[in-house]
Amino acid sequence: MDILVQTLADGLVIGAFYSLIALGYTMVFGIIKLLNFAHGDLYMLGAFVGYTLLSVLGKDSSGAGLMGILIVLLLAMVIVGVIGMGIERVAYRPLLLAPRLSILITAIGVSLFLENGSMIIWGAQYQVYPLQFSHDGISLLGAKITYVQIGLVLISALLMLSLHLFINRSLYGKAMRAIALDQTACHLMGIHVHKVIGLTFFIGASLAAGAGTMAGAYYGTVNFMMGFIIGLKAFTAAVLGGLVAFRARCWAGCCSG
Amino acid sequence: MTPLLTINSIHSFYGKIEALKGIDLHVQEGEIVALLGSNGAGKSTTLKTISGIVRPTSGDVLLHGKSLVGWAPHQIVEAGIIHVPEGRRIFAGLTVRENLELGGFTLRKEKAAIGEGIEQAFALFPRLKERSEQMGGTLSGGEQQMLAICRGLMARPKLLMLDEPSMGLAPIIVVEIMNIIREINRQGTTILLIEQNAKAALKLAHRGYVMETGHIVMENKADVLRTDDSIVKAYLGA
Repeated sequence: MDILVQTLADGLVIGAFYSLIALGYTMVFGIIKLLNFAHGDLYMLGAFVGYTLLSVLGKDSSGAGLMGILIVLLLAMVIVGVIGMGIERVAYRPLLLAPRLSILITAIGVSLFLENGSMIIWGAQYQVYPLQFSHDGISLLGAKITYVQIGLVLISALLMLSLHLFINRSLYGKAMRAIALDQTACHLMGIHVHKVIGLTFFIGASLAAGAGTMAGAYYGTVNFMMGFIIGLKAFTAAVLGGLVAFRARCWAGCCSG
Repeated sequence: MTPLLTINSIHSFYGKIEALKGIDLHVQEGEIVALLGSNGAGKSTTLKTISGIVRPTSGDVLLHGKSLVGWAPHQIVEAGIIHVPEGRRIFAGLTVRENLELGGFTLRKEKAAIGEGIEQAFALFPRLKERSEQMGGTLSGGEQQMLAICRGLMARPKLLMLDEPSMGLAPIIVVEIMNIIREINRQGTTILLIEQNAKAALKLAHRGYVMETGHIVMENKADVLRTDDSIVKAYLGA
């Protein structure tokens, strides 16, 4: 019994990461029908950017406090979000009208570029996150759940909830759904389609980066290939949750965990 | 007076076919102008060229004397031209209200204007109000056309271009749509209308152009076109 609960709790944390990545995956797929193979690498990039920021921050404050960690998380999300927008602008936008296969192959190219680029910058060996979480926690039915785990799941849930509200309530969110349905009609409504697509990439990339930073901190080590496997798993979660339905995706991510 | 819209010898390609071979037309403020012609004459391409979806290879499109060629579609919408496309193209997976909100995308800075526009749309077509939370795709063809027109009006256009609003609709609905178009025009919106249903269009319009394989072959007052025997035979049917 305790093993079951323990596994469920651990799985829920990893599942939350998968959900965040899968959300970005499906947002991008929904809007321009592209399976963004580079998405898992944005997760890896998020982990590394978080790693670098924490190293810098850790030097002058001897171990970042809770606020520091949250700031690093946000910064990493913004930085990788901007990188995601840049990727869309440079690699995908020129191919928007090309056959889907060309853009798919480009995505693989971007993925390789990010992986090897990170290897050159941060090295090929495993890097240890400059951060030690306490192992305090509560006991539930014989399983140990740390406060950190609870915190990570809560942050993920918060991100998912805000995304949900953004997509359903804001005009830009509605424009995203409309572009997924009919791009030409969106042009005719006066919607700046490229801007909205860029925004989608920003959100997708920053969600992946958030998951990456959290996963890096959670596992303690990061490596330039960590995005590859997680990209596949998030893809599985995305397919399981359906490439369109939002809530289903969150659940599917948790189940995959 | 400078016309609201002027088109000077536009040439446009649709794929590899030269769909427009030098089109000249103008629309005065407050008019309803009908653009007639058989399938493949280049009517839709003309509208697409005006709204910026198709770029002309030469020629000029002027709004109040200012050139719009090379502008992105969303900039042309902001300038005041709305194109309600053929086949309605409403967002089937979004609710009626969301469709209308997106029509007001260019007014997004003024929340009140969007609410006002939605109220006006509901006043124009009460049936849309009943279905405001329904998905656009669940509406009937006529309701979808009403929604498409209202969605276009949300941006408060100076010029509203309608591409075959009567397509695939029952005659009684066509009459209703035509009456609404007249009403919209009375409230001050200039209209450029494409119609296969030339009889209905010429009853409504002040002036008309007849197109044939990329050229404009005739231009006159709607009353004259309606009674012109050769037109009636060639384009309008018996």
